[in-house]
Parts: sequence; structure tokens; C-alpha cells
Amino acid sequence: MTVRTERLPYGVGRLTGGWYVLIGVLLAFVVLGLYAYSRQLAVGEAVTGMRDIGTMGGATWGLYVAFVVYFVGVSFAGITVAALIRLMNLEFLKPIARMAEVLTVIALILGAFSILADVGRPLRAILNLFRYARPQSPFFGTFTLVISGYLFASLVYLYLDGRRDAALLARIPGKLQGFYRAWAAGYRDTPAERERHERASFWLAIAILPLLVTAHSTLGFVFGIQVGRPGWFSALQAPGFVLLAGVSGVGLLIVIAAILRKVLNVPDQLSPQVFRWLANFLMVLTVAYLYFVIVELLTTTYAAHYHEVEVSRALLVGEYAWLYWASLAFLVVPFLVLFAQFITQRYNIPLIVLSGMLVNLAAIGKRYLIVVPSQTHGTLLPYGTGAYAPTWVEYSIVLGLFALGALLFVLFVKLFPIMEVPETLVSEGAAQQVIEGG
Amino acid sequence: MNITRRTFLKGSAAAGGTLIAGRLLSGELETLVAAPPGASPALAEEWVPTTCWIGKQDCGILARRINGRVISLEGHPDHPRNRGTLCPKGIAQIMALYDPNRVKAPMIRTNEKGVPGKWRQVTWDEALNLVAEKIKAVRQKDPRLFVWQKGRSKAKAFYDKAFVKAAGATKLGHGTYCSDAGYRAAEYTIGLHGVLHPDFRYTRYLLCWGWNVTNAGGNKFCWLTWPQQLIQARERGMKMVVIDPRLRSAGHFADEWLPIRPGTDLALALALCSTLVEQGTIDRAYLQNHTNAPFLVKEDGFFLRAAPEGEEEEGKPLVWDEASGQAVPFDTEGVQPALEGEFTVQNSKVKPAFQVFKEHLASYTPEWAAEVCDIPADIIRRIARELGENARIGSTIVVDGITLPYRPVAIMAYHMTQQELGFQAARAMIMLMMLLGAIEAVGGQRIDLTWKIHKNWEKLDRVEIKDPPYNIYLKDSKFFPINSGSPSVMAKVMLEPEKYGVDYTPEVLMLHMVNPMPSFTDEPLHMEAYKQFKFVVAIDPWLSKTADLFADVVLPAATIEKYEGPIKASDQYTDAVAFRIPPMNPLFQSRGEIEIYMDIAERAGFLYGEKGYLAHLNKELKLKDEFALPLDRKPSVREIFDRWARAQGIEEGVAFFEKNGVKVKGPVPAKKYYGYAQEPPFNGIRHRLYGESLLRYRQIMQEKGADEIYWRDYTPLPTWRPLTMDQSPPEYDLYLISFKKIEFKQSRASQIPLLAELAPQQYLEINPKTARERGIADGDEVWVESHNALTGETRRVKVVARYRESIRPDTVGMPHHYGEVARHPWAKGQGPTANVLFFGTEGYLTNTADATFHVKVRVYKA
Amino acid sequence: MARYAMVIDLERCTGCRACVEACKVENNTPTANLWMYVFRFEEGEYPNTHVWFMPRPCMHCDNAPCVKVCPVGARYKRLDGLTATDWERCIGCRYCEVACPYGVNYFNWKDPAENYYLDWNDEDLAAVTGGTTPPYRNPDLDQPYGSEQRRVAGGGRAKGVIEKCTFCVHRVEQGLLPACVANCPLFALHFGDLDDPNSTVSRLLRRKPSFRLLEEQGTQPRVYYIGGKPPTTETRQIEEVKARV
Ligand SMILES: Nc1nc2c(c(=O)[nH]1)N[C@H]1C(S)=C(S)[C@@H](COP(=O)(O)OP(=O)(O)OC[C@H]3O[C@@H](n4cnc5c(=O)[nH]c(N)nc54)[C@H](O)[C@@H]3O)O[C@H]1N2
Ligand SMILES: Nc1nc2c(c(=O)[nH]1)N[C@H]1C(S)=C(S)[C@@H](COP(=O)(O)OP(=O)(O)OC[C@H]3O[C@@H](n4cnc5c(=O)[nH]c(N)nc54)[C@H](O)[C@@H]3O)O[C@H]1N2
Ligand code: SF4
Ligand code: SF4
Ligand code: SF4
Ligand code: SF4
Ligand code: SF4
Ligand SMILES: [Mo]
Repeated sequence: MTVRTERLPYGVGRLTGGWYVLIGVLLAFVVLGLYAYSRQLAVGEAVTGMRDIGTMGGATWGLYVAFVVYFVGVSFAGITVAALIRLMNLEFLKPIARMAEVLTVIALILGAFSILADVGRPLRAILNLFRYARPQSPFFGTFTLVISGYLFASLVYLYLDGRRDAALLARIPGKLQGFYRAWAAGYRDTPAERERHERASFWLAIAILPLLVTAHSTLGFVFGIQVGRPGWFSALQAPGFVLLAGVSGVGLLIVIAAILRKVLNVPDQLSPQVFRWLANFLMVLTVAYLYFVIVELLTTTYAAHYHEVEVSRALLVGEYAWLYWASLAFLVVPFLVLFAQFITQRYNIPLIVLSGMLVNLAAIGKRYLIVVPSQTHGTLLPYGTGAYAPTWVEYSIVLGLFALGALLFVLFVKLFPIMEVPETLVSEGAAQQVIEGG
Repeated sequence: MNITRRTFLKGSAAAGGTLIAGRLLSGELETLVAAPPGASPALAEEWVPTTCWIGKQDCGILARRINGRVISLEGHPDHPRNRGTLCPKGIAQIMALYDPNRVKAPMIRTNEKGVPGKWRQVTWDEALNLVAEKIKAVRQKDPRLFVWQKGRSKAKAFYDKAFVKAAGATKLGHGTYCSDAGYRAAEYTIGLHGVLHPDFRYTRYLLCWGWNVTNAGGNKFCWLTWPQQLIQARERGMKMVVIDPRLRSAGHFADEWLPIRPGTDLALALALCSTLVEQGTIDRAYLQNHTNAPFLVKEDGFFLRAAPEGEEEEGKPLVWDEASGQAVPFDTEGVQPALEGEFTVQNSKVKPAFQVFKEHLASYTPEWAAEVCDIPADIIRRIARELGENARIGSTIVVDGITLPYRPVAIMAYHMTQQELGFQAARAMIMLMMLLGAIEAVGGQRIDLTWKIHKNWEKLDRVEIKDPPYNIYLKDSKFFPINSGSPSVMAKVMLEPEKYGVDYTPEVLMLHMVNPMPSFTDEPLHMEAYKQFKFVVAIDPWLSKTADLFADVVLPAATIEKYEGPIKASDQYTDAVAFRIPPMNPLFQSRGEIEIYMDIAERAGFLYGEKGYLAHLNKELKLKDEFALPLDRKPSVREIFDRWARAQGIEEGVAFFEKNGVKVKGPVPAKKYYGYAQEPPFNGIRHRLYGESLLRYRQIMQEKGADEIYWRDYTPLPTWRPLTMDQSPPEYDLYLISFKKIEFKQSRASQIPLLAELAPQQYLEINPKTARERGIADGDEVWVESHNALTGETRRVKVVARYRESIRPDTVGMPHHYGEVARHPWAKGQGPTANVLFFGTEGYLTNTADATFHVKVRVYKA
Repeated sequence: MARYAMVIDLERCTGCRACVEACKVENNTPTANLWMYVFRFEEGEYPNTHVWFMPRPCMHCDNAPCVKVCPVGARYKRLDGLTATDWERCIGCRYCEVACPYGVNYFNWKDPAENYYLDWNDEDLAAVTGGTTPPYRNPDLDQPYGSEQRRVAGGGRAKGVIEKCTFCVHRVEQGLLPACVANCPLFALHFGDLDDPNSTVSRLLRRKPSFRLLEEQGTQPRVYYIGGKPPTTETRQIEEVKARV
């Protein structure tokens, strides 16, 4: 008697030993993060390296806020890519559409968690942000547009986009069948349905693009419209945020795509063409961002106000110089690499992936450099310079958040096809094939 | 409600994992509900008047007490000294009141001395019996072997004085580290007890001479009275010239800053005198009529006197009467005494003292002083000119209906007189004001708060220098005939009694409000000496460093929560008296000093009877007749004060003070205030421009074989000589000075967390130029190494260097106050006291046995 | 409705920091929270140096950046000009703090009960104070204030919320002067109603030239300085307090 096991595409629903180890490791980090968070809840944020600006000589926003910005920035990727595919009919990119969308959703969740890690009264924050929300606060944008609107839109998009696949998978019997059926929600992939569905997601994509720019801009406004913080107050802050968001998001998408290509062994679906496109896109975003950096550099050093110069000095030659120049190098080098590939039209996936990783390190560095130095070196009254160094609690919580993100991603990959399911794969026969192959 | 929530949370902590949930669900959410208005229970509010326990001017306080708990200490609005305000220490002392790190109960040492103590808490009975037994034994042997030492005390020192007298103990004070050199100079020269301060109501030109305006006391006060009067004077247009190696002391109140080289104030004062004489802006009438300036001085330096030798009484000094052209007794009716010239009388050449002074000053030109003090000669001349102009010599003003000389120039100086030539420097500063006729004139130079000739006026003129054996502070000895009772002299004597001709060393020591180890110069010297005491008892609210190292018994004193008084509350213009009234019962097992002394006296057998402590209390408080304390019964402290108050004619007794805190007696009338307003002016005394008796002491000291170092500064006129510290080798190229910080009071506040937070660490002020030459960055740790020019000894401490542009480049400064209370969490790691670096040995003491807070140091990176 | 303002006379201030301590005791602020802070400054080079002092409470700005950014309206302007913080609504995001150009905000990094300088959990002490922390805790702070009846008085309220100078709302509502003003030994601090032409503050501002800190930021502070000049980039802080929790 043969045991009939039904297999879903891309290893969905199948957990091997390696996966268990991975999930275990990620869980361990999540637990570490939770433990750190429990310390913070019990003792207060005295366990962090943050302190008040001024007479305490500290930075009151630190790693958490840097990562709020970073995570929200990363979320840029999914929706942009997905929307571009939809709007510009970039069929060959379809395989990365869903991973981009998932990345967006997860990044936004992590962003929200980072905010919760940062605020002094998390539970109250959840309640009061609804009860007393004030649109005048730039934070309002962050919470409503970014965390809520954006997340909601992304979820809807992800949902709509997955319905067809869910409908296909719902045909395969198994433990997850009910879940797929629920997701598909009666969708049968008839041409009429497909047509309606296409139209919905097209409009959604159109709607999402401005939302995207606004959302990332409001995040920029959180900093950019604060007159009292040299280094922040700048019209460039908002567009700069959008661009750096793109850089980090696309960079991370490249890394994830490459990993999945390896792990799921799908070199054909995730073809070099996909990477080429992503590489070029990253290159354009990076160079645009570098342009902003240079403009900013000139304005803040050439004839700027004393306090702007102080912050710039801290960045360029002072305490933060190592991070500043490292971050810049991590932008310039990838740009040069990508540019060389573009010129020679010879693309090398490992190099593209490396670029994606580097620009993300750069993005993290830059986020930190936006948040912190303006507080430690940008006081308008002569308080003297401050200092900030994150503690193990902050590192653990950030690490925990990364682990949580990875975990969510992995679980999604095991729950739902991370790439659009080709028709052939899910036909009755194909299913058989898979089973036989096993 | 607060407590319940905390308890709840603790409960959930016990439940482990529910902690977070518990916090979130109860603690976090509960606060979203605003309590209904007016829900708080009715509060019983009371205001208890009392006085500041920290500072030496005992500012008036109103303690706000709610349901029996003191919640804040606010300035008493009626108290003339502080007018409803308090300095930071006054406010912050509320934390000291409740501090659980106080000495809570009597303690007896269980380990050897000289190292941090190990303590056993005991009952008051046990501790008091032990102390009484030791005192009894030592008194039976020789009462002089019982030393009672006090430091910067507060209130009126009646109860401690009475104790010392009743016990027959030897008394040591803090004054030789405070401002005694200045006091002795003023007492000797003018007859008033104090150093130097202006008549702020009228002064128009002030030399702020080492007065730490923004941080410390100046003459007599603790702090805020003077600054309050200063801002009023400035708003009326008074100009203030600051003479100080660092500008931070006077801050923005300085109209001009003369950064003088440390220890050279005598030279500057002499040059200013010299210029005044040269430009002729001197008050001849004052000098002729109220000083010994016209007294004729013989070639041997002594006054020419009327009566020939052999008679019982010394004759009156003679002056040259220009009217009659002959020498006559100075107080001859209608005399016109000459100030200048040279005359021949009784076959000897004589000159008026002023002429001698003038010649003495001839070489002290501004150019000469410029070299010594590092202040340009033209500036010295200008200051002299401004002094001369502002003094308005000859002008008068009517105050309280009395026409008085108006000389609106003055000096404020106090602790800066604690320098090597301090006594003579203070004398020269007073003489500067004498030349201008500003002494006790309206707007002029003041020394005491009211006019009152001090007994030292006579005493210091008639010191009898004896042969050994001497007492432990070498009073009336050939070493320090004018003597301030210096603890560091005692320390030296204890270590080498024979050298100084002392035939006993004390055995039992009682420390009262004093912490010699960190507070007094030459900590190492004191360390060695205090090991010699056989038994030491400390009365202190805190475990002071001295007590920790040397006390056998520590008795916990109360802080503000005790009866103490009566306390003078005059701000020099308004007279008042106040009391320290306990706003709460003494915390822990602490008690007020008076109770402690009564108990000790009772157990040691000298409380009752005619010569007992109670009898002495009567004497000190002037309690007579029905107000006198009965001598056979131990009263309560309140009763003592009640009797005092009634004796003063206050019918409610001490209850008046319990209700009002301060009794304002009203403005001080000109009659009581200005020496010039007396009849005759100054009660007829002649201020001593010329110090004849100083010359006499010098000769006797020489005769008795004292070394030059002891007698060299006993000169009738202040005389400059190079400083001992300047003989240190050239690598010790910086002067170390010391000063107070507004946050702290000596060693008695640096453990108060609210204050320690503001100034957490000892530091060295250093000019950036000096620092950079040595590769020292702002905030670097450095070694400060001092050198004793005479013994070659060096000592060093490690501190953090802080850049200051407002200090002389050849000078570094360290504040006082640090490193003092043992085992207090906030006193830990504050850093060393500067007093390790200063020396209490010969050469570093003034001729009145006072300490200098100057020494040469080198500074290098640690 | 009154329009309260503070006038600080720099000619008088000696930098004693009694106002700092008066504020701390009155408002029960925890360790390192200096709602009132007094700068001590040095300018120039030896021997042409200048030393001066500048108190810095919250400026109670009329166009307050901190109020604008607060996402939940916990930081708000009262009609009488006070910038208040409702510690029961505050979520502890510290946005007001980064937005404020003056550095006057203090976050409760710890449970305030654990942050009162000393361990007050002492049995002997509790016998006297009933275990109140700190022992000098001011009961006036424990009630809502203003027509809006919000919890805005005093400090050391709850972990994870922001606090700052309240202009002593609990005293001002009773007609008392703020604690720092009432205590200033040099009478350098003045407080009153700008709508009342006879108030001390109005009279002082009419009589003497004044400036406000960082006026160019458009914050419209309600704290005016007379008798001096604002700090410049040449102004160095000395004896600075860098208190940490
Ligand atoms: N380097 C340096 N040293 C200096 C100075 C300086 O400027 N620089 N200044 C000098 C001057 S001016 C002086 S006056 C001296 C002062 O020096 P001290 O007279 O020794 O004064 P404190 O250091 O205050 O010591 C007082 C002790 O009394 C205790 N005490 C406080 N209140 C009470 C009380 O109510 N009852 C009892 N029983 N004890 C109490 C305190 O806890 C402390 O241990 O220091 C001198 N030392
Ligand atoms: N906050 C606070 N106030 C206090 C005290 C305290 O401990 N803390 N102590 C009280 C007591 S006991 C006293 S005695 C008074 C003292 O009151 P002040 O005499 O006003 O204050 P100090 O700080 O002792 O004075 C030292 C001043 O002399 C300067 N100086 C040092 N060397 C020289 C020099 O060679 N020449 C000149 N011209 N100046 C020099 C220092 O820079 C400093 O400004 O303060 C009282 N008030
Ligand atoms: S000036 Fe002196 S007496 Fe007055 S409050 Fe301050 S410490 Fe107390
Ligand atoms: S209390 Fe008055 S004098 Fe002292 S620092 Fe404050 S404002 Fe200035
Ligand atoms: S000073 Fe700062 S906290 Fe105060 S009102 Fe202005 S912006 Fe707000
Ligand atoms: S910390 Fe509180 S008061 Fe400040 S912006 Fe956030 S919620 Fe508003
Ligand atoms: S007004 Fe009140 S809260 Fe503000 S600094 Fe003064 S004392 Fe503190
Ligand atoms: Mo003193």
C-alpha cells in the first residue's frame, strides 16, 4: 500500500530538520528580544542607553526609532515592486511580487513593534493613539498612513494577489486546504473573475503609489519639520526618506530573492533577468540618494548655521565619522559595482546580492545618523555635547525584531507559495507528478 | 492607593510570568482614569518656623508640615537675613533630615583606630556612660587633657561654651582655618571683631578682595544676605572691582577684574597705600584724631611717652603739637598733632608714626607691586585714584539726624586672609581704608555688624610672652604670641611636645560639629596627631571621615529637628533674634546637642551645683533671679529657652518663637551702628596704624631665642617679604588655591543627594593655556603634586582637570567640600579634599598661628 | 483669563541654583530631572573673560513645537499660557522632547519611586513618614487642575511618561508664585500676568529691554530675559550638570 502524501509547490507545508533548526534559532532570538523587553517593561527605559537631551547629555530617541525608520523604509520595496509590475506589466518580475509584498507587510509589523518598543507606555500608546489621535502631529502620518493605512493596503493587496493561488491550492487536499479555501473565498479563477480581480488590483496599485510617497514623506517630516534640531530641519528630509527607503527595500528584496532562489531551487523562475532589473533599479535609487547626500553635505557645511555645522562636524570628522563614512562607502561601492555591471551589461548575482546587503547596512547606519547626532550634538542652547550608546537591551530587542521578521517570513513561505504558482504546477497532473517525485 | 498598587505588583512579580501582564493590565491602564476632583482627603497643614541647620548665618525657615510630615522648607519672609528665600543648601537640607544614612543610633567602635571603623550599635545609656566615665577619669587626672573641638558651628555658641567651662576642657576652634588672621588683624587694629565688609546701603565703590560673592560668605555671613545687599547697591550704581585670582567668585558682578597672583595681597595693599599717600588723598583729620598716626616714634621703633621710666604706669604717647611746637600727650586739649616731619624731643629724634609709615611705603611703588602681584602699575594707580575720588574725603551726611563723615568706599574680604602673610595683609587692607578715613564712616569700611569694641582690642596689645612650659596651642609662647588656638599647632605639639616646650599631651577628645580630617589644612599631619588620642567621641549627625577614622564613640546629633538658639538674625541693618525650633521630633535615635551635653555632664558629675553646667548655662544666657535655671534639676531644653525668652521680656516665652520664628527688633540705629556716631567717636580709642606692641613681641621672641621664622612678621607696619612657597623648586610652577562652592557647606552638605547631583565630583580649575602646555585636555585626570619649600615633602592627589579661562594661567584651584562623609552612597567617589596638599608646618602658618590655603604645585597627566 | 509669563533678570542672577532645588523639592522631581536648570557660562579668553548665569525653565512657548508634535494631545496649551503635560494621557513617545529646542523635557526612565536619590525603604523612616516616597512628597500635586481637570501638576508621576516645568500650575492656581520664583534669593525671577499692565512682569518689560531665547525659531516663548544678552556660539558652559539616572 502506498501512502498518499500530497505535496504543495515550493515546499509549502513541509518542514524538514533544517527548517526546524532555523525556526528554533529564530525563536531563540525572539525569546531573547522578549526577555530584553520584559526587563525594559519591569525597570523602565533606564535599561536602554537613551537619556534626556540637554542636562542628561543623552539622546532620547535611539536605536528603536532608527529601526522604526529603517523597517518602514524597507516596506517600500514590496508595494513599489508589486505596483510597478501591475502598472507597467512587467511580467518577468511576477515571481518576486509576492515576496516583495510579504516583505512589506512584515517590515511594517516590525516597524510598529519598534514603535511599541520605544514608547514609554506601550499599551496606552495603542489605546490613546486611537482615542486622541491628533492630525497636526507628524507622528499622525506615521501611525495612520504608514503603520495603519499602508499596512492595511498592503495586506489587502497581498490578499487579492494571492486569491488565485489560494484557489488553485485549495484543490489539493491537505491540512492547509481549509486555509486556502478561506483565502480564496469563493474565487474560482474564471476569466471573468480574473478580469475583475486584475482591475481591482490595478486601481489599488494606482492608489498605493501616492500613499507610498506620502507615507515615507511623513516619516521624513517627523524629522524634517523640527526647527529645533539642527541636522533635521530640511526640505530634503522627506524625499530623502523616500529614496533611502527604496534603496533599503529593493536591496533587501534582492537578498531575499537570492536566498529563496537557492533554498527553493527555482533558478528559472527567479531568472537573472529579475536580478538584472532589481540591480538597475537599485542603482538608480542609490545614485539618486547619493545626490541627495551630496546636496545635504554642501548645504550643511558650506554656509550653514553654527549648529548645523556642529552636527555636520560630528558626522564628518567627529564621533560619528566612522559610521558616516562607512555608510557612505556602503552606498558608493554598491553603486559602482552596479554601475560597472550596467555598463558592461554583465551581471553577477552574488555581487548584486552583496550590493543589496551593503546598502542595507548603509541604510541602517544612515537612519541611526539621522536620529542620534542631532540630539547629542544639535542642542541650540550651549548644553555641550551628549553621548548615546545602545545597551544590550536595545540590541537584543532589535535582534529579536529581525528574528521575528525572518520567522514570519519563513512561516509564510511554509504556509503559502512565496511565488505565483504556475498553472501547470497545480493542475491535477502536476500534483501527481510531485507526489511521484517524492 | 500608591502602596496598594505596588503591593499588587509585587504579588504579580511572585507569580513570575504574570508580571508583564499585571503591569500592562493594572498599572498601565489604571492611570487612564482621572481621579474625581477634590477626592483627596483633607490635609492638616502647619507651618513651623525654624532656622537653617546647614549654614552659618542660620537663615529663617518656615517648614511646611502636612499631617505631621515636613514636606518643604521655605525662607521665612520676616527674617532679615534671608527675607523669604533660601540658598540651594537651605532648600535641599530637607533630604538630610530624612536621610536613612544618618547615624541613627549611638555607636561604639569595635576595631582599631586610624582605619575605617567597624561599629556596634548601642543604647544611649551605654554610650553616655562610657563617654562620661572617660571624661570623669581624665578630668580627675588633669582637665586640660580633655580637648573639646568644634568647627564651623551655628547659632550662638552658648551651650558649648558653658560645657567647655564647666568641664575645664581645652577648647579648639576652626577659626585658624577660617578667617582668624583677618579677625586678629581687625581686633588689633580697629578693636572690632570681624574682617572687612562694606556699608552696602551707602557704599559706592567696593574692592571685592577675594570675596566669593556668588558662592560663599564674605565677612560673617553664610551667603545670601550679602548678595541681596550687593544687588541693591549695584542697582544704585555701586562699582565693584574684583581682586581675586579667579573671576568665577564674583561672576558678572565684577565691573573690573584684577587677577592678582595668589598670596601677594599685602604687596597690592601697600602699593595702594603708597599711591594714596603720594597723591595726597588721605583723611588727615581722622588720622590725627582717631588713630595713633601722629604718635611720635623713636628711633628704636617705640613710642615716645610722657612719663619717665620707673613709674608704675606707662606714660601717654606723645604727639607733636604744631600749635605749640612741642611734644604733648596725644589727648591734650586743642592739640594740632603733626602727621609728618621729624622732630627732636628729649634729645632723641622722633617722627610721627604716619611719617614712619610714609617712609615705609616709599619703596612700595605701584611699579614694585606690579612685579609682585602681576597687576600693571597704571591700573594700581588708577584704582588708588578711584578710591581717593570716591572716598569724598571731608564730606558728611546726615543719618538718623546725626551728621557723620561720608566715605562710600570699602573692602569686602574674609577667608582670603588665610594666607601666609594674612595677618599683615589684612592689616594693610584696613590701613588702606584708614588712610581714606573710611573706617566706620557712612558708606565706608565695616568690620562688625554693630559697633562694639572687642576684648581683644586690649588683650592683643598686652600679650605676655612667657617661658615654657606652654599649653598645647602655644598661646603666649615665643612661637605664636598672638594666637588663634590652632588645631594644627596642637597637632604638631602632640607629635613633638618637647620641641615646643609643652609638658603634656591631651588624651580625650570630643568632636563637636567638626570634621578636621578633610576640612583643615594638612590632613596628613592631623591624621598622625589624632592617632595619639586615647579616647575620641564625636557628636555628629553623620559619620564624618574624622569620626570614622578615630572616634571610639559616635553620638547621633539631630539636624534641623532640634532646639537651638538664641540666634542673632541681624543683617547689619535690622536687628532680630531667632530660634531653631524642631519642625519634627528628632529622627531615628538622634538628639539635640544640649540634651546630650546635659546628660554627659550629669553622668560625669558636673551638671549641678555652683560650678556645674547648669550654672554656666545661666551665665552664658545671662539668666538671673527668677529666670535662672535651678542648679539641682535637669531642665528640658525647651524650658531653658523659655526662661531665656521671658528674661528678655517676651511674655509668651519660647512659644513666641515657636509661633513666629523670629523676633524683629527693628532697624539698627546709627548710634549702635557707626563707630563715628559714638560719643566720643569710637568711644575714644585710637586705631592702631602703627603696631607698637608687635615690635615689642618681636624683640621678646628674639630674646627668648625663637627662630626668625616665628618673629619675622611681627613688624609694627606691614612689611612684604618673599613667600615661603615661592622657594619651592621651579618645577612646582603653579599656585594652588581653594574656595567654596555654593552647593556645599564645608563638609556638611556634600552628601546631600540633591546638592551632590549638581556638583558630583572634585576637580581642578586650570587655565586652558596652562593645560595645553602640559598636554592636558578638558576632563583629563591629572596629578596635582604639592611641595613643602622648607621640608621638601611632596604630596599628590588625582583629580579631573576642567578648563577655565577665568583663572590666572599660573594658578590652579580646587574647591573645598569633597571627600568627607564616610559610607554615604552619594559621598562615594567624590574625590579628594584639597587639604591633603596644603601644609600646616612652619612657613605655611601666619604669625597668628593660622593656616594658608596656598601652596606651589605641579600638575601633570595621570 | 490671565496670560502668565516669567521674567528673568540676568543682572541679578548669581547662578546659585536655589531655583533648581526649590523646583525639585516643590515638584518632587526624581533624580536628574532638572525642570529648572541654571547655566553657568564663561566667555572670552584670559584675562578678558566674562562669567554669567542663565536660568532655564520651560519657556511655555505660545507656538510650542512640543505641543504641535504630540500625537495624543497630552502636551497642550492652557488658556492662561501654561504649556501643560497630562501625564495620564502621555504615551511616552518623547516626540515633544526632540521637538523642543530648549532641552527642558525629562522622561521617567525609571519608576520614579525607584529614582528618588536614595533608597527610602527604611523601616525607621517609614515609622515616621508612613513610607511615603520621597519622604517630602507634596500632596498638592495629587489632584487634577484647570477647567479641563487634567493631571498636570508635579513630577515623579509614572514610569514612561514625560514631564517638565509646569510653571507650578498647582501654586499658580492658588494665587501663589511658582516655587522657583518665590525662593530666588536675588529676586531675579519674576512671574505674573502680562494682561495686567500693573503686574511686575508687565512693568519690567516696559521698563527694560528684553529678549527671549531662540526667538528666531518662532516658538514665541513666555519666558523673557532682561539685563543681559542671549548666549552666543562663543558662550561656554562651565560647572555643567550632566546628571544621569
Ligand atoms: N581646602 C579648603 N579647606 C577649607 C576651607 C576652604 O575654603 N578650602 N574653608 C575653611 C573654613 S572657612 C572653615 S570655617 C572650615 C570648616 O571646617 P569644619 O568646621 O570642620 O566644618 P565642617 O566640615 O562643616 O564639619 C562639620 C562637621 O559637623 C557636623 N555637623 C553638621 N551639623 C551638625 C550639627 O547640627 N550638630 C553636630 N553635632 N554636628 C554637625 C558635620 O556632619 C561635619 O562632620 O573649613 C576650612 N577648610
Ligand atoms: N556655599 C558656601 N558658603 C559658605 C561656606 C561654604 O562652605 N559654602 N562657608 C562659610 C564660611 S565658614 C566662610 S569662612 C565664608 C568664606 O567666604 P569667602 O571668603 O567669601 O569665600 P571663600 O571661597 O572661602 O574665599 C576664597 C576666595 O578667595 C580667593 N582667593 C584665593 N586665594 C587668594 C589670594 O591669594 N588673594 C585673593 N585676593 N583672593 C584669593 C578665591 O578665589 C575665592 O574667591 O563662606 C561661608 N559661606
Ligand atoms: S545661606 Fe547658609 S544659612 Fe542661609 S540657607 Fe544657605 S546654607 Fe542656610
Ligand atoms: S535662584 Fe535666582 S539667583 Fe539663584 S540661580 Fe536661580 S534665578 Fe539665579
Ligand atoms: S520650551 Fe520646549 S517644552 Fe516648553 S513649551 Fe517650548 S517647546 Fe514646549
Ligand atoms: S511624550 Fe507624551 S507629551 Fe510628549 S509627545 Fe509623546 S505623548 Fe505627547
Ligand atoms: S515654575 Fe515651578 S515647575 Fe517651573 S521651574 Fe519654576 S518651580 Fe519648577
Ligand atoms: Mo569659615
